[in-house]
Amino acid sequence: MLEIKNLHASIDGKEILRGINLTVNAGEVHAIMGPNGSGKSTLSNIIAGRDGYDITQGEVIYKGDNLLDMPAEVRAQRGVFLAFQYPVEIPGVSNIYLLKAALNAVRKYQGLDDLDAIDFLTLVRSKLELVQMDEQFLHRGVNEGFSGGEKKRNEILQMALLEPSLAILDETDSGLDIDALKVVSEGVNALRSPERSIVMITHYQRLLDYIVPDYVHVLSNGQIVKSGDKELAKELEAKGYSWIHDTAEGQPI
Amino acid sequence: MKQLTDLVTPFATIAADKQLAGDDLAWLKKLRLQALDQFNRAGLPAKKQEDWKYTSLWALSQQDFIHQANPSDISAAQCDQVALLQDSYRVVIIDGVYSAEHSQLTGLQTGLTISPLSSGLDQVQSYIGQQVDIEKAGLNALNTLLMNEGVVITVDSDTQVLTPIEILVINTGSTNNLAIHLRNIIVLADHSQLTVIEHYIGLAESTSFTNVVSEVVLKENAELNHYKLQQESSNATHIATLAAKQAANSLWRSSNISLGAKLARNDVHTQLLGEQAHVVMDGLYLADSEQHVDFHTRIDHAVPNTSSEELFKGVLNDNSHAVFNGKVIVHKHAQKTDANQQNHNLLLSRGCEIDSKPEMEIYADDVKCAHGSTVGQINEDQLFFLRARGLDEASARNLLTHAFAVDVLDRIPAEQIRNAFSKVIEQHLPHGGS
Ligand SMILES: Nc1ncnc2c1ncn2[C@@H]1O[C@H](COP(=O)(O)OP(=O)(O)OP(=O)(O)O)[C@@H](O)[C@H]1O
Ligand SMILES: [Mg+2]
Repeated sequence: MLEIKNLHASIDGKEILRGINLTVNAGEVHAIMGPNGSGKSTLSNIIAGRDGYDITQGEVIYKGDNLLDMPAEVRAQRGVFLAFQYPVEIPGVSNIYLLKAALNAVRKYQGLDDLDAIDFLTLVRSKLELVQMDEQFLHRGVNEGFSGGEKKRNEILQMALLEPSLAILDETDSGLDIDALKVVSEGVNALRSPERSIVMITHYQRLLDYIVPDYVHVLSNGQIVKSGDKELAKELEAKGYSWIHDTAEGQPI
Repeated sequence: MKQLTDLVTPFATIAADKQLAGDDLAWLKKLRLQALDQFNRAGLPAKKQEDWKYTSLWALSQQDFIHQANPSDISAAQCDQVALLQDSYRVVIIDGVYSAEHSQLTGLQTGLTISPLSSGLDQVQSYIGQQVDIEKAGLNALNTLLMNEGVVITVDSDTQVLTPIEILVINTGSTNNLAIHLRNIIVLADHSQLTVIEHYIGLAESTSFTNVVSEVVLKENAELNHYKLQQESSNATHIATLAAKQAANSLWRSSNISLGAKLARNDVHTQLLGEQAHVVMDGLYLADSEQHVDFHTRIDHAVPNTSSEELFKGVLNDNSHAVFNGKVIVHKHAQKTDANQQNHNLLLSRGCEIDSKPEMEIYADDVKCAHGSTVGQINEDQLFFLRARGLDEASARNLLTHAFAVDVLDRIPAEQIRNAFSKVIEQHLPHGGS
């Protein structure tokens, strides 16, 4: 599904990613943990296609194609989805308009016609139910005045509707209350399938109780410094990141 | 030189030779003579005048305008197609001439009168020239000198007119260099209510000059929703003065949307003369290529306890230039005035330019006045978010531009009109309709 090879990226001459290697196969769930400022969101943004980074070395292959050559919208149309760490507010664009435009963009790429109004609404309602969101959120501006938790749910709503092949969740669990965490986790688990892959960025082992990952990686200072299974997350929770630095610094795995 | 007096078009001679509306009315003759005198002295404003600092009428002064249109007509279907609203009263003026055939004035509600200026002048002696000062502006003098068509609307007291009126001014383009001078008079008596749309549209890329003055009188407790949509051709010069006087408890909602013309200048002015009078003065200008659009607004809070809300937004592209000058004057005894003025601009190119100048003159001490002015670009985070959801860049930019612009429409109560404007704006945006 996704293959990142020796990826180096910098902003304004400052190197942020310093040789990332990561392979995510279809059907797998990977968790990425790591200290603040280690480059997790930078990696997500680069996969999703944000401009402004200098990719100085390496490549990213998605379903056999070079992802870095594609504009952000083409990546989205081909099934790459990023749930943002800080979802942006867009007053004046209604949520339902966004959902429709996004779904139709993906459908167009797949050679499908736009859904008619009734089918679209039926589909959206079923997804609203999945993430337990009230229908009134459809008619508000995108994330406009949403609480932190509501914004995160809205990201999952978009993901549930678009059914991406590769979902990257950048701290979708941060700021969620316990009930919301369960709802969001159920939304993600509903998407799990042998054809789809999920990369979750999180600071909390708790999320991994709900969405059990196949692999856990630690990103530190622009490199993946340790990989393991879900036990690694537990160890990190108990010992902190310094434990990794003490044992594995400078030895990317 | 504060005036342009060396004009290629012999306006004074034209006024003397032309058969003008209301030639048989003595009071009007007198008014026109005063206007002539004033126009001869004032000419057209030049850039040395503070109010015309950023807008040059030099090119206009060098054009030779024609005041007699070639016969032209359009089909009923074409007329319907360019109209903003289908279910409305409609007054149609084609190339400066009233068209009875295309107007829809049947079944007027009692208490409402609508007549073309050419046949309604005898009713309006007491209103004409009340709001605009020909002493001050040469363009208003020129309008008074040559006004030949327009619309006179009166609403009796306690009359609520639910059907909107569209004043549809069409320039077919069949007469190149056509100048038209229009005067609209709208008078609402006590406790009456009305919705009017002034709609100016050019059908071909001819050169033209529209000079319009609209005078509005709101008596006590009157409520007027007043919209303007300017879609003149890209070689047109559109100059408009819109001036109101508001009595106690009256409400004037004005939304002024400027899309067309090579040069558009709008002066919008109201005087709040009775307590609890309220004005909503909104506007939106979208400009591209070499367009120049200038809004000068003025709100006079003349008595205590009046309020105003003003929101103007602009979207500029290419090498366009916009001017917003918003004056709010709180007179000495106008305590408890509540005034808010906002002007926000979105710049889509490097070559465009905005001159935004709020001017608050406050002579009372117990007032609440606020103003804000911003100039910004498309938000990159929003743009990336939309693209990351699969929208191509052009559509995403368009969507964000539309979202920026349309909140000006939020204060239009009638959904039908709001939606009609929203659609027009969407189609006008840089990347076309989405
Ligand atoms: N536009 C930018 N300009 C300069 N530095 C940047 C920019 N974007 C990110 N950085 C820097 O890159 C580093 C990595 O940031 P990133 O957001 O990827 O961290 P993160 O791992 O997601 O952190 P967190 O856990 O706090 O979300 C940080 O030091 C950050 O300050
Ligand atoms: Mg981050």
